[in-house]
Amino acid sequence: MKTGFARVTENTRLYGDTYIMWLDSPELIQGATPGQFLMLRCADLLPGLDGAAELTGASIADDPLLGRAMSYHRIREGENGREFSILYDVVGRGTAWLARRDPGDRVYAWGPLGRGYSLPGQSGQNMLLVGGGIGIAPLLWLADEGVARGKSVVLIDGARDAKGVFPAELVPAEAEVVVTTQDGSVGRQGLVTDVFLDYYGWADQVFACGPNPMFAALSEVLTRHEGSQRARRRKPVQALLESAMGCGTGICYGCAIFDRRGNPRLVCKEGPRFELREIW
Amino acid sequence: MVTMTNPISLEVDLAPGAKRSLILPNPVMVASGTFGYGIEYTKVFDIQRLGGIVTKTTTLAPRRGNPPVRIAETPAGMLNSIGLQNIGITALVRDLAPVYATWKTPVVASIMGFTVGEYAEVASRLEGIEGFAGVELNLSCPNTERGGVEFGQDSEAAAEAVARVSRATTLPIIAKLTPNIADPRIVARAVVEAGADALCVGNTLQAMAMDLERRRPVIGATFAGLSGPALKPVALRQVYVVAGAVDVPVIGCGGIATARDALEFILAGASAVQIGTATFTNPLAPIEAIDGIEAYCREHEICRIGELVGAGRAPADRKPRPETVPLK
Repeated sequence: MKTGFARVTENTRLYGDTYIMWLDSPELIQGATPGQFLMLRCADLLPGLDGAAELTGASIADDPLLGRAMSYHRIREGENGREFSILYDVVGRGTAWLARRDPGDRVYAWGPLGRGYSLPGQSGQNMLLVGGGIGIAPLLWLADEGVARGKSVVLIDGARDAKGVFPAELVPAEAEVVVTTQDGSVGRQGLVTDVFLDYYGWADQVFACGPNPMFAALSEVLTRHEGSQRARRRKPVQALLESAMGCGTGICYGCAIFDRRGNPRLVCKEGPRFELREIW
Repeated sequence: MVTMTNPISLEVDLAPGAKRSLILPNPVMVASGTFGYGIEYTKVFDIQRLGGIVTKTTTLAPRRGNPPVRIAETPAGMLNSIGLQNIGITALVRDLAPVYATWKTPVVASIMGFTVGEYAEVASRLEGIEGFAGVELNLSCPNTERGGVEFGQDSEAAAEAVARVSRATTLPIIAKLTPNIADPRIVARAVVEAGADALCVGNTLQAMAMDLERRRPVIGATFAGLSGPALKPVALRQVYVVAGAVDVPVIGCGGIATARDALEFILAGASAVQIGTATFTNPLAPIEAIDGIEAYCREHEICRIGELVGAGRAPADRKPRPETVPLK
């Protein structure tokens, strides 16, 4: 993990109410893998520090106070080396602040954090990616990586309506995209769980990201499908959890969820990637 | 032009009268519950530079803590109700003490009990274990023998817990007081009388938040503790008040994020400070505070940090107040 100020190179609305922000900070992407995240402070610099050369985390106003956890969405080569992007919906004070950033602005961040997806080796040829809502964010980098490694990739993108569907032209052409919308305005009407089993048999591994109810529903579908099949014979389903976090680094204990055995697990540090059925 | 070439001493002795001293290389500690067990940040910065590390509060048995939601953001602050999730004293001594024994920076074990006997039992398990430089009693715990009133709100119970711990260990004892009380001086004097070598003032302020959509409290456990910059002015006053009422070192804690914050507490009478929530929002906050304090001392030609302790107090407040002297 490194700390530092990332410079915004691009910040635009990509679709619906979803924004993409590209950030220039090679050290904050160094060593990162798909599914890892970083924390971004979403508050102004203190008055008078706008042009300052030397800034620290103490150069930022006290409100909003906490960092926002954001998955690495994608990477690309920029003018100063590797850039990374975050994909975000404007849902509160922090993301509203992010949406107002202009190119050149600086954002204090620390990362990479957490345990990302474990990418399949030789044996896992068929990768099924399942994203619910903004949970699509980390799956694009994973899809890019999968395609680059010659894997077959299917991406199920579940959205509320047409506005929330990730633009198909931005998905690697080699990957197959399956869209579901709750109102049926695009793709198949329903939830990701309604099409999940159509592809599950084909998949060697499943990679999911979305809200907790999506994971609970996925687990239920799988349990019904597999009956009492033994856990070790199940296909791995890597669930990447979304959670509000205090620190992102395992010191505040604020993001804990309880697994099936009733043990607290820190999403930021032990996760955010868990085997689905350890939790649900 | 005068240039200072002599090294500045930031060293602090938190237990000058104790059987064993508790000397910090500088006054910046990290607060209990805000730095895990210390091992999480070994790759983030050089933790050996810290003035001291206070562990996550440890109880006799391991605890799973509260169900979500455990934290919430509030204006310039945050709420937490973690529910004392911890690995228990056995694991702390077995797994972490050997690591702490190799560290230069002093590690203070934060402990808690639900009865006075439990405080003593947990403290006794630290006795003779290499790796601990002191013990901090988290007094914000409901006392099951007294109808759940927090130890920190009950001067008799707090004093008894400290007295029992001081018989159970030779480690220097820090009593961490609660701000959720009308006059902190009463408990402060009681625990010093009972054997506390230093006081930590203080802890989170009881608070809550309401979710308008769900029409329920935001925090799973309903109530929570407020920390962060919003708490700082409250904590600063408490430190000022307590430092005037006792003769032992006081550690300031509450909303301290920067060297400037830390220096305010030191001027108010704190011998050392603890940084907590700030590390969540700026992982390098403790190190930046140490550097900033040193720079301030250099700039203002302060040779020893002790020169600043209490230096901001009003003249009438520089000595213990008359009421601390027993009347004949």
